[in-house]
Amino acid sequence: MSEPKQSPSRLREGLGEGRLAAPNMTAPPPTPPASGRGEASARGHIPGEAGVWLLIFGEMSFFTALFASFLHARRGDAAGFMAGQAELSRAIGVVNTLLLLTSSLFVAKGVAAAKRGDITQAPRLFSAGLACGLGFIALKALEYAELISRGIAFDSHPFYAYYFGLTALHLGHVLIGAVLLAWLASATRRPLAKPLHLAMTESAACFWHMVDLLWIVIFPLLYLVR
Amino acid sequence: MAALLRDRLFQAWLLLCAVTLLSLVIGGSGGAAAGFAVLAIAFAKAWLVMFGFMDVARAPSTLKIIACVWLAGALGILLAVHGGVLG
Repeated sequence: MSEPKQSPSRLREGLGEGRLAAPNMTAPPPTPPASGRGEASARGHIPGEAGVWLLIFGEMSFFTALFASFLHARRGDAAGFMAGQAELSRAIGVVNTLLLLTSSLFVAKGVAAAKRGDITQAPRLFSAGLACGLGFIALKALEYAELISRGIAFDSHPFYAYYFGLTALHLGHVLIGAVLLAWLASATRRPLAKPLHLAMTESAACFWHMVDLLWIVIFPLLYLVR
Repeated sequence: MAALLRDRLFQAWLLLCAVTLLSLVIGGSGGAAAGFAVLAIAFAKAWLVMFGFMDVARAPSTLKIIACVWLAGALGILLAVHGGVLG
């Protein structure tokens, strides 16, 4: 028994709510919301794939364990950790934070545009998010180069072991996220034709937001907490 | 500009940027209390990213509850370790 076919426009209406609209020949089709983000249905809509949320909570739990380990080590040598912190550039840390927050804004707006089927704005917004991400990577490379030029390395002090370890691990996630954003910028040049495409778009966007979220905690831990 | 200021995502971004600068000021003041405040602010920002940008606000209540419990739990653990209660 084959499932009833849906017209492309009906598919997109379903995508606007994050799922396929149930075929109903009697009820009028739902009106797509102007914002493209839709009103929450009674049960709500999980952004992206449920499995992505397992990955997100797993990653964040892993990083939380590292953060706790950092704070524990810091208690044993507060003066040494503060001296290490003083060598870091807070200006670069703040600019990097603002870059990731701005990229998250572009990506969230990109997802909304993709849901609306706006194939002009969505790729531009994802590209803008990617540009901010690349700016973050460039500044991080600059900071690493500056520290290394002063003879500071992974094994100089436990603070730097945590600094390089945490930021390099995070940078790896930024690189993966940047690849995903590049894919989104390319994939959203066409309308999202299947629910799977929306789920993949939202999943990639959620991964990028997780990268932002991790930095939101890494920044105060390494640069601000005294 | 007025339309931009009414945009929910833009409002969240503006708030996140403002709170980032606030945490920079608080962190610069030094002291143990500042450390706790900066960590608490970081998790408030994380909540805003989850519920604003990641659209958890429109997700089923289960995901909302898991997100809130996870954020509160992680913050609690970090504050406890920072304060010497744990470890």
